[in-house]
Amino acid sequence: MAPQVPIVYLGATAMLTALGRGTAANFEAVVSGASGLAAVADTALSGSPLMASRVDDALLIDAPQLTRFERLAATVVIDVLRRSGVGRSRVGLIVSTTKGNIASLGGSGMPEAGSPVFIAEAAQRVADFCGIETKPISLSNACISGVSAVIIASRLIRAGIFESMIVVGADELTRFVVTGFDGFKSLSHSRCRPYDAARDGLNLGEGSAALLLTSDAALGEGIVVEGGAITDDANHISGPSRTGQPLADAIGLAMSQSGLWPGDVSFVNAHGTATAYNDEMESKAIGLAGLAGVPVNSLKPYFGHTLGASGAIEIALCAEQLRHGLLLGTPGYEACGVPEPLMVSAAGRRAALSRCVKTASGFGGCNAAVVLAAESVARPVSLPPSRPLHTARTVEIAHGEVLVDGSRVFGADGCFADFIRAAFRHLDRPNMKFFKMDNLCKLGYVGAEFLLDGVGLRPGRTAIVLANRSASLDSDCRHRDVIAQSDSASPAVFVYTLPNVVMGEICIRHKITGENSFFIVHEYDENRILQYARTMFAQGFHDKAIVGFCELLGEDYRLRISLLETK
Amino acid sequence: MEELIQNLKQQIIDALNLEEITPADIDDDAPLFGEGLGLDSIDALEIILILEKEYGIRIAKPSDAKPILKSMRTLAEYVEKNRK
Repeated sequence: MAPQVPIVYLGATAMLTALGRGTAANFEAVVSGASGLAAVADTALSGSPLMASRVDDALLIDAPQLTRFERLAATVVIDVLRRSGVGRSRVGLIVSTTKGNIASLGGSGMPEAGSPVFIAEAAQRVADFCGIETKPISLSNACISGVSAVIIASRLIRAGIFESMIVVGADELTRFVVTGFDGFKSLSHSRCRPYDAARDGLNLGEGSAALLLTSDAALGEGIVVEGGAITDDANHISGPSRTGQPLADAIGLAMSQSGLWPGDVSFVNAHGTATAYNDEMESKAIGLAGLAGVPVNSLKPYFGHTLGASGAIEIALCAEQLRHGLLLGTPGYEACGVPEPLMVSAAGRRAALSRCVKTASGFGGCNAAVVLAAESVARPVSLPPSRPLHTARTVEIAHGEVLVDGSRVFGADGCFADFIRAAFRHLDRPNMKFFKMDNLCKLGYVGAEFLLDGVGLRPGRTAIVLANRSASLDSDCRHRDVIAQSDSASPAVFVYTLPNVVMGEICIRHKITGENSFFIVHEYDENRILQYARTMFAQGFHDKAIVGFCELLGEDYRLRISLLETK
Repeated sequence: MEELIQNLKQQIIDALNLEEITPADIDDDAPLFGEGLGLDSIDALEIILILEKEYGIRIAKPSDAKPILKSMRTLAEYVEKNRK
């Protein structure tokens, strides 16, 4: 008999967006058709006017010791703590963000210890301010961060590692991000129109949301988190899959965890950024997942794309839709502009809603899907019998040396660029793409070449779970220097300003389509990442995973990755 | 035209970090994307940026650049016609 897996309830939620503070206030606003998007003429953000959503500073909690990003996060965490009354001594905290305190990146050089831009330290300041005593977990996984964080939290709770966790997603609107997306030509100058034939790009936004996840039924508020899964396209680091299959796989795996069929799903809240390629891919994926006959909505026309906050904001509003039996519309949708027909919910309406699938996709080729259900219909998540794990191989790269299982297999002198190029040539597996990568990706790529040498992989059953301290700060500094010269960002630089892209590069090279998760840590603690890897393996989706640490900032670099296998 | 092609090749090599490629390695008439040089959509955006910065040519919609970016020769012909 399978062991009893705890039910994960979604408890109190809070949010802070251009439409106000509080989940109820935001839900009321969007039901009435309001949008937080407006023309923003701010030369500190962009040379030309921008359609975007911004949070009113007056709504932020008063905390002079915190940065604005940290206040965005702390405001909603405090709101959830107050609303739920959950104990601060044992509750876990996951901070999901793409760029954290990037607004505090100095004008030149690499950030030094103590700079606010290190994400794990920012997360610790938020936890300290909120009186949370457990060590926070930070996740930076591009645009799927918020959905990923909910999946990861629900797994940690089911594994009994935490009874309750607060997931907070937050990101700030900055010139750093605006110039980058502008360089990708993916910004629309009008309000975005997901799935519509006339859609012409996304709008950026900022905000935060916090969600309490708990196995304590007394803290639940009528909604349960069922299955969740993360996949990678292994196709391209910025463009989504051409087939939609990996997102469809994430949806299918998530639904399979509680034995769901398409008919069990009341609606899909998709990513729906309104870029040509994202929406096209999603339509294919939703069709492949058998959900073409299920209503789909996107909440981007209300808030824009709030990056690391979007998944958390949208999950909180999915719960409101389920609770109130109110399916939100997708303003601006008129005519289908995606290759696979979708039942896009254009206008809001009352409907009997019992379960939804929430998806997100992002740079690095990552996809995530999670299922939320009304408590009255929720089904338990069943996990397969656990299988022991063993470490098949470990690769370390530091100080100009590559070690495989502790033995030196390569060494070269010189700066990192010279060393890693020599290591790549030593492997003798030419790949023109290598030279286009940033240094963090080159480090991870070469490490994975040594780690996977001669190893047979099953693409969909292989995962990558990495951590580092500096996220993508090395490339962040390069992007900062480009946009200091002119308003035009270099797409080939900006695309690497997300740490999870290193996993995307490894996935493309080795055709890996399993989970990708990237954690930011203050100091590397192997036991902590192994603890998560075990809960990931416990889902039964994977039989191999690359797990470890991949850090690079200037000339300081260190990689230690292991190949874990189920026996 | 020949000089323009050479300049464009060098600008593309520099912008895209095509470390192991020299201008002579790029065939003037071979496809730039997919096969041939194997460039992708990010590279296309970088080339659009080169046109903007070096030749004063603005292309608003990246998809409009598709026929222009077929080969080095089509690119050079377009630049010749439209440069400011």
